[in-house]
Amino acid sequence: MDIPWVLDHLDELALRTLQHFGLAALAVGVGFVLSMGLSILAVRVRLTMGPIVTLTGIFYTIPSLALFAALVPVTGLSLFTAEVPLVLYTLLIFVRNISAGLDGVPADVIEAADGMGYPRRTRLLRVELPLAVPLIVAGVRLASVSTIGLVTISGILGDRFGGLGFFIFEGYRRSFPTEIIAGAVPSVILALLVDRLLVETGARLTPWFKTRTST
Amino acid sequence: MSSHPAATVTFDHVTKRYSGTGSGLRGAVEDLCIEVPAGKICVLVGPSGCGKTTSLKMVNRLIEPTSGRILIDGVDAAAHDVTELRRSIGYVIQQVGLFPHQTVGENVATVPRLLGWAEDRRRERSDELLTLVGLDPAVQRGRYPSQLSGGERQRVGVARALAADPPLMLMDEPFGAVDPIVRERLQNEFLRLQADLAKTILFVTHDIDEAIKMGDLVAVMEIGGKLAQFGTPEEILANPASDFVARFVGADRGLKRLALANIGSLELRPAVTAHVGDDSSEARRRILADPFEFLLLVDATNRPIGWIGQRQVPASGVLEEEMASPMSPLLDQHTTLKDALAMLIDAEVQAGIAVDERGAVLGLVTADMITERVRPAPSSPG
Repeated sequence: MDIPWVLDHLDELALRTLQHFGLAALAVGVGFVLSMGLSILAVRVRLTMGPIVTLTGIFYTIPSLALFAALVPVTGLSLFTAEVPLVLYTLLIFVRNISAGLDGVPADVIEAADGMGYPRRTRLLRVELPLAVPLIVAGVRLASVSTIGLVTISGILGDRFGGLGFFIFEGYRRSFPTEIIAGAVPSVILALLVDRLLVETGARLTPWFKTRTST
Repeated sequence: MSSHPAATVTFDHVTKRYSGTGSGLRGAVEDLCIEVPAGKICVLVGPSGCGKTTSLKMVNRLIEPTSGRILIDGVDAAAHDVTELRRSIGYVIQQVGLFPHQTVGENVATVPRLLGWAEDRRRERSDELLTLVGLDPAVQRGRYPSQLSGGERQRVGVARALAADPPLMLMDEPFGAVDPIVRERLQNEFLRLQADLAKTILFVTHDIDEAIKMGDLVAVMEIGGKLAQFGTPEEILANPASDFVARFVGADRGLKRLALANIGSLELRPAVTAHVGDDSSEARRRILADPFEFLLLVDATNRPIGWIGQRQVPASGVLEEEMASPMSPLLDQHTTLKDALAMLIDAEVQAGIAVDERGAVLGLVTADMITERVRPAPSSPG
């Protein structure tokens, strides 16, 4: 472990960590929005549930390297190319969790909401989605952690991508283990920090949930 | 506090058919015609699958009828905007359906919020309703449903249904999810509430005892969604319209009728009374002339002291308090005949003493008088 090298590259490490976070956050954000639409569709129109889950499952099985190889001729060495696989991998996690969350809203709660005159959209926003929050947060945690790990692979598209993956690729090329560790360790720490943050956010969003055990 | 008048609800040849064979009868309703006058509780009762819940849900259009109309104050429910219709009808279900992610206060203010009331008006209203159903707003408004007992949840459910002061309430087994002791308390509280609120209430239950207790009117339904009988609890118990109704209300329907009537409805037997210090020979003469063999000794304000057997009344002298032997149960005007009979049996006496609010003797009640009251009435005069 070449400590002087690490100290020498702190600025660059910080910058790359930030970039890493940005690439992951963009993918998780876009994936979340897409999945929310898909999940609501799947829950509302039951027939679409099977195809949606199957399709997102298939996306999940495509090797990322193959996807880059297929996309580069079309979309070049662009941010778009870097993000597509990351986004696709979040879909399965999100769709499963969000639709399970929406499906898990108790029937009596839905009946009471309908009986009291909730329009469908208001019911979704004020009743179903809030009640799905624990499962949605679980999905965001899983998607975030896995995406933060996956971002490194986009380093294969060049210096502008990959976040901390840049160090891992470079360290591998130069057979310089310190640099590999300097890329990997902050990535792990970032994943753990984000996860912790999400747990706390989730708890704050669902004050009613933890009280369940207090009586 | 009720500002909205209660609504009249009319089922006008309402039919609901479900497609599919075999189970197609389950929940179906066949040509239902009933009219519920404003301010009354109408209980729909029948075995599981008889269409009582379907009938209820057709009122707020959670289920649409296949044919026929449901009129609320003369206006077809189908003519209303469905969300507005539902917001104007209180709805209570067995599992309560409280929103787990909202506090008790927010739950109660659900319909006011949908109606766009300002926040402080909502809070005020929900506090008022929590108090009304016997919950302390300061303690309960900030709690979540998971922190409540079953009985508290049901109360919150009732408060929530009352929030916008609806002229009509639909209650689907509202006290079904709690134990019998809590249920009885909730029933009594609700009847007390209703005495002030005077809402029109459609109430579904499978429990005939609850139907008899809660209903001003009872509609007995049978499988296939046919109305078997519609009338007051007294009418249904006294004259079941069919074997089905007779079986459904139970072999003990005579006893059940006893619970519906009270002492006030009886023509009392006059008691032969005498005051302490009265002339004994005069009292003796009066009691020997009466078929009932006991003289009732009373104090100066006509409150009963005790009995003196006709043979024990001295031929001369004055009546003294020590001559009287233990008392019969005292019955007031509101004592049900069922309770009165139970007291007579327990006390092993021939007659109970009916008294007014001040405790003064009104007359005597015997077990024969009580049983006579519930003998099957002649089916038609003449």
